[in-house]
Amino acid sequence: MGVEAAATASLQEVINWARKNSVWPVTFGLACCALEMMVASSSTYDIARFGAEVFRPSPRQADLMIVAGTVTKKMAPMLKRIYEQMPEPKWVIAYGSCACSGGIFQTYNVVQGVDQIIPVDVYVPGCPPRPEGLLKGIITLQQKIAAEPAGQRNLVSLPWGNNG
Amino acid sequence: MVERIKAELGATLKETPVGEADYRERGYHLFAEVASADLLNVARFFDERGFYLAALICVDYKEYLELVYIFSNHASLCKVKITLKIDPAKPVAPTISTVFDCAYWHEREIREFFGVSFDGHPNMTYLFLHEGIDFYPLRKEKIPVSDEDKKALGAFRPGEGEDTFFVNLGPQHPSTHGVLRVVLKMDGEYIEDAQPVLGYLHRMHEKMAENRSYLQFLPNTGRMDYLGPMAFNLGYVTAVERLCGIPVPDRANYVRVILTELNRLSSHLMWLGAYLADLGALTPFLFVFDDREEINDILEPVTGSRLTYCYFRFGGLYNDVDDAFVAGTRAFIERLRSRFSLYEKLVGGNVIFTNRTRGIGVITKERARKQAVSGPVLRGAGIPMDIRKSEPCAAYGEMDFDVPVGTRGDALDMYQVRIREMENALNIIEQALARLPEGPIMTEKAPRKLKPPKGDLYHTVETPRGELGIYIVSDESDKPYRMKWRVPSFSNLMIFPELAKGNLLADAVAILGSLDLVIPEIDR
Ligand code: SF4
Repeated sequence: MGVEAAATASLQEVINWARKNSVWPVTFGLACCALEMMVASSSTYDIARFGAEVFRPSPRQADLMIVAGTVTKKMAPMLKRIYEQMPEPKWVIAYGSCACSGGIFQTYNVVQGVDQIIPVDVYVPGCPPRPEGLLKGIITLQQKIAAEPAGQRNLVSLPWGNNG
Repeated sequence: MVERIKAELGATLKETPVGEADYRERGYHLFAEVASADLLNVARFFDERGFYLAALICVDYKEYLELVYIFSNHASLCKVKITLKIDPAKPVAPTISTVFDCAYWHEREIREFFGVSFDGHPNMTYLFLHEGIDFYPLRKEKIPVSDEDKKALGAFRPGEGEDTFFVNLGPQHPSTHGVLRVVLKMDGEYIEDAQPVLGYLHRMHEKMAENRSYLQFLPNTGRMDYLGPMAFNLGYVTAVERLCGIPVPDRANYVRVILTELNRLSSHLMWLGAYLADLGALTPFLFVFDDREEINDILEPVTGSRLTYCYFRFGGLYNDVDDAFVAGTRAFIERLRSRFSLYEKLVGGNVIFTNRTRGIGVITKERARKQAVSGPVLRGAGIPMDIRKSEPCAAYGEMDFDVPVGTRGDALDMYQVRIREMENALNIIEQALARLPEGPIMTEKAPRKLKPPKGDLYHTVETPRGELGIYIVSDESDKPYRMKWRVPSFSNLMIFPELAKGNLLADAVAILGSLDLVIPEIDR
């Protein structure tokens, strides 16, 4: 490995470390699962231990979308729009059976899994999953972020970047 | 009362007979079938006598569609079912939204799901569905939505006036607690008009019910109102037990009361935290979640879940409670009692909170009746009506508790009523624990395969948010022919537009919060 490659590699490590310890979720509660997501942020489960307690009402300030609940066809366009409004780098956790696969609702108005409209990084099944499930999901996501190789994403989101 | 209404209604209707039903079996006292020309007269008849429109239901019997109007009364127990047959080839009925305001919303719902249009209705546009759905979901056969119908339904396009503009509150907005959207027409900072747009969480529980056996549908009930799933479970199992005549052992009835009240506590606590978070106070949120977790710790070992409970069974319970449960509940009662003084200091006695909520969102008794609001909102408006008292199911009849009412009908009253209801719930739990009988928790007479006799039933229970009405039509098969859920949040939301009118946008959020809405339940 040349000096330059080694430098970018370790720079990437530093960036990954910073990213993984400050994933800010956008508030995106849809149904029953949203309540367990709120519980995860309460004092008993304390999501702050993982640097993810800053729930942002604005997608512009968030890196993580926790899709907690059933995505309906009426909601799907809004969900996609909010996802697109989030700046890079961004990640998605599908929290609950409904977000993973439509859950028990195989009806005309329910999207059978949020991965049909946006890319998902971590799936947490359960109806609803326990708050610990969400914490495990966040830890898994952190591991995934830590392993991101250099060059996979733009290091800095600049307006002229291709995914900024 | 029933006798008097029967005689008077008979005199009004002249030719059509008024039948008397067995209330214990059917959930209503009187019934009559009217012609569409008489409908408005009948509606006025009930309006004059202080009734409210509890539910408006449509059933597709293939040869004809039937509209079912359930009229009920706050003062004394008297329920009347009025039916109107309509021709599926030309599905038109007169509107009664001119008499009962809440019919405005029910009729829009029926328009979308059955394709029945209502003559004289001012706004027949999409409420739940959207253009992407090209059939009438609740019809028994697949009837396509014609292009003209789609155009008419999608006609709602907010246009701007000269001095006004539109603000979309939701569907993704922290203060709407889920995915409610309200289109606000603003004149500067003041609201001129508010129109809720629903259906962002419409999952079609009612159609699912038609495709499942009675038992298979049970898990769905807990997912409608995720804050008070126990009460929805209770409503559903007691409805089916009533339909099939299944007896329930005493112990099960008492345990049902204890668990439903524990769940009511957790729901009201959650409301308290979320409401104050809406108003900008985050501290109570953390406190109430602490208390809620205690309740979850008590319920989880017994029911097996933390949120979407599915614990009651037809004829009893899934699982017996043990001594640890009883001891844990007693300890929790002590704990929560001591916390009330803290909440009083933190919230009730907080001038910022009281000044913020006093005098806004005032509901008068008359408007509460016309819009058919229920639960703490109705009691906050000053009407002492609680279904746990008027139509007690499980062991509620043996419990001693009072019904708190408000005096002003504003948002602050709703808060005080809920706090007093929490104290009441603790008393009820204490009484039930003290008298908890020994014995079996499951009846031996429950049939393996449920096939209720032919007929219908309108059954109500009091959920944390108000009157839940379940209308079941059975055709003797193992699946319900039609199941309609008259959900409390939907009825409570209907009054929101008139409360918001003329208020500041920030107050609208405070009013919306005081109604305590749960969106999956509205959208079903
Ligand atoms: S997975 Fe279960 S708990 Fe979660 S939103 Fe779906 S139905 Fe509700």
